[in-house]
Amino acid sequence: MPHPTQSFVRNGLLSIIDAAAYAAIGPHLEPVDLPKGTVLIEAGEPFTHAHFLNGGIGSIIISTPDSQRVEAGIFGREGLSGFGCLLGVDQGPQTSMIQVDGEGYRVSIKALRTACQQSDSLRETLLRYVHVFISQTSYTSLSNVSQSVEGRLARWLLMCHDRVTGDDIALTHEFLSIMLAVQRPSVTTALHMIEGYGFIKARRGNITVVDRDALVDFADGMYGTPEAEYRRLIGPFG
Amino acid sequence: MRFYLHQQITNGIIEDPDGTEAVDLVAAKRGAILAARQLLANAILAGVAPLGTAFRITDGNGNLLLTVPFHDALWPGFMDCLQK
Repeated sequence: MPHPTQSFVRNGLLSIIDAAAYAAIGPHLEPVDLPKGTVLIEAGEPFTHAHFLNGGIGSIIISTPDSQRVEAGIFGREGLSGFGCLLGVDQGPQTSMIQVDGEGYRVSIKALRTACQQSDSLRETLLRYVHVFISQTSYTSLSNVSQSVEGRLARWLLMCHDRVTGDDIALTHEFLSIMLAVQRPSVTTALHMIEGYGFIKARRGNITVVDRDALVDFADGMYGTPEAEYRRLIGPFG
Repeated sequence: MRFYLHQQITNGIIEDPDGTEAVDLVAAKRGAILAARQLLANAILAGVAPLGTAFRITDGNGNLLLTVPFHDALWPGFMDCLQK
């Protein structure tokens, strides 16, 4: 099967790497549809593929022993799943799954590792993304201990808004409750409050961002630093 | 079975659009109590008055099955402790 040309890909990592780096990985990319609910990595199972998204939102989830799920981080067209393989490990405790329909490319772990051995710039770009992702999870920790549920919701909505085209985000209350690590009525109440301020419009299964600047102000400094790190170290974002 | 936890607030209702699975009404009530505690805690941490006063638990057809006042989520005497 012919592999995608670099000018065609919309993934933020694949589109900015140099031609030699793309030559190392491009032939191994397989286009895949990624509907909501697709599990990319199962906790405790060996990694088989990394996924570079062109669109949609993926979520890295960690669970308590009694199966309460909490989101550790999100990724979309700016990133990839399965980056643990770049760090020399074969599996991890997190589950990675698609929360908003998307599509992208998958590449076997073996091919990705070989491509990274062939191209230093590919490996360095992907490791810079790992740094950005760690920055995101660091801010999530900070946000979880310092912000109200409404402030945390504003931050997550901005992060999702960065990863979709347009202002509509197809988010269920269930996903929001995992994102924010709260029970569903806390999500419903926080949406009601933020909608009352005029920042968003919430309908069943969909949230429309009405006033992004106001959401950024409301997130009170908890949104923006990991995104700026991405722009500084990798390329355009959002 | 699917239960819907609509929240009664001072000037209306915040509807639960999606509902939650629970084995029976007792389990749904237990979920409502935990959710009420979280809402009250969120309000206390934010330094504001809680928006809601009770959950109205309905089935998928909108039939009211049970009302759970938020004060049922607190242990007896909690408000007295605060006022001392």
